[in-house]
Amino acid sequence: MPLITEMNLPVLPVENPDFQRDPMPYVDAARQRHPWLARFEQGYIVHGYQAVKDLAFMDDKLVMGLGHVVDFYQVRGTPWARFMLEMLQSHTGPEHARIRASVAQAFTPRRANRVRPAMREVIDGLLDEWSGRDGFDFAEFASYFPIAVLCGVLGVPTTGIPRIRNAIETHMASLTLDHKYYPGFLEAFDLLWDYVDELVRDREASGERDEDALLDALIAARDAGKLSDLELRDMVLVLLIAGYDTSKNMLTLTMYRLLEHPEYWQRCAEDIDFCAKVIEEMLRHSSIATVFRSVVEDFDYQGHRFPRGAMVAFSMPLANRDPAAFPDPMSFDPFRESETRHLAFGRGEHICLGQFLARAQLEEGLHLITRRISNPVLAGDIAWRPFLGAWGLSTLPIRFDVAA
Amino acid sequence: MVKIIYKESDGTEHPTDLEPGVSVMQGALNNGVPSILGECGGQLACGTCLVYVDPAWRDKTGEPEEMEEATLELHADNPHEGKRLSCQIKASDELDGLVVHLPDSQY
Repeated sequence: MPLITEMNLPVLPVENPDFQRDPMPYVDAARQRHPWLARFEQGYIVHGYQAVKDLAFMDDKLVMGLGHVVDFYQVRGTPWARFMLEMLQSHTGPEHARIRASVAQAFTPRRANRVRPAMREVIDGLLDEWSGRDGFDFAEFASYFPIAVLCGVLGVPTTGIPRIRNAIETHMASLTLDHKYYPGFLEAFDLLWDYVDELVRDREASGERDEDALLDALIAARDAGKLSDLELRDMVLVLLIAGYDTSKNMLTLTMYRLLEHPEYWQRCAEDIDFCAKVIEEMLRHSSIATVFRSVVEDFDYQGHRFPRGAMVAFSMPLANRDPAAFPDPMSFDPFRESETRHLAFGRGEHICLGQFLARAQLEEGLHLITRRISNPVLAGDIAWRPFLGAWGLSTLPIRFDVAA
Repeated sequence: MVKIIYKESDGTEHPTDLEPGVSVMQGALNNGVPSILGECGGQLACGTCLVYVDPAWRDKTGEPEEMEEATLELHADNPHEGKRLSCQIKASDELDGLVVHLPDSQY
């Protein structure tokens, strides 16, 4: 059985700005040499739909690979490294299930639907504030939306968002494996940790309890001995980070895509069910997450031996554009009929906790934005984020008319 | 072994023998039964292992608990009776012969 370390695999230049702008020419060429596996500078990248789907279920062999990220920067022993190695995603099996159970009830489809009115309130408020301008950077606008919704779910004030926004961006940049972000992300983490610690202390001191506030449920779980004090804070931070950087990128990419499809804009304004179709196809066409796993035990898959210690990235954006799974993958078609579901939220034990909340807020956001602004056009140069971690647009300048 | 019979909407049956304790979802995946996806691996996080329990078996499979109920809201527009997430039904001697009907789509 050939070892992947000894195979002559194609290389994907994920750090190249051209790749970040449009990875597909590189991936199409790589696919000619191997249908689903390639190398990148730090490890291996799985880009075939079926392979990502199969391997994502092998949670016992492929654990979350944040240890590779920590070692890339050689910062073991720092508070940031402790967080990376101990947070929810770094656990597996019963420990993972225990920690995840402490928040799972707040993320069911039922709860996501209950949060919809609050989502509408947040986006309406933001549009009141921003739509008076002739135009704005949509990426910046979108960055205030999902995190405000998440603060609502936690039951904490949104006034802290400006304080933590940049720090979350900097923390997330660490996932792109680029030394230029060191040591910035360590400092950003200290700021985030102080913020979360303050949130928890303030809530404890206030004595207030709200049965819908997730922070209160987490404090109660800690008091009942189901979570440690550290796990409570790790979880709040995980949620703030996850809630910030994913939906905002998806919403920005959705706006970008719809600039090319004005025929869908009016329809989104009229019909929220159509928004759901647009969002689902966006999650397929332009998903954002490339996540790291680490092989903890040798295993064989499709005639390949994966050795212990290898770093393997699952690339959802590339897997969702695999022509073997989705015919004509680069065509954006909200009416695509298929039982083959995209991998945007992953599979297996680490499947996205917030997938129903994310879908609901993307649908509600898109619906209200299309109702309140019209004729959006690109008003300047766009810029792409690094590919690894959470891909997307860092800048999307638009101009528009305010709908009557 | 516990016999579970999965029925497709066109009447095709998939009789399957499961070890006691194995979920009806896992049993379907292990035996190539179509329609059941189980995207989250059985932790009530995805709602893609929907089945309709045959009326004759609903007393024995019981009612969904709160988290399952909250997840089943995904399928609120689906008018079928007996909706359950099959990761929450475990094979047992009491369920020997259980009949579950498979949806045409999990989405």
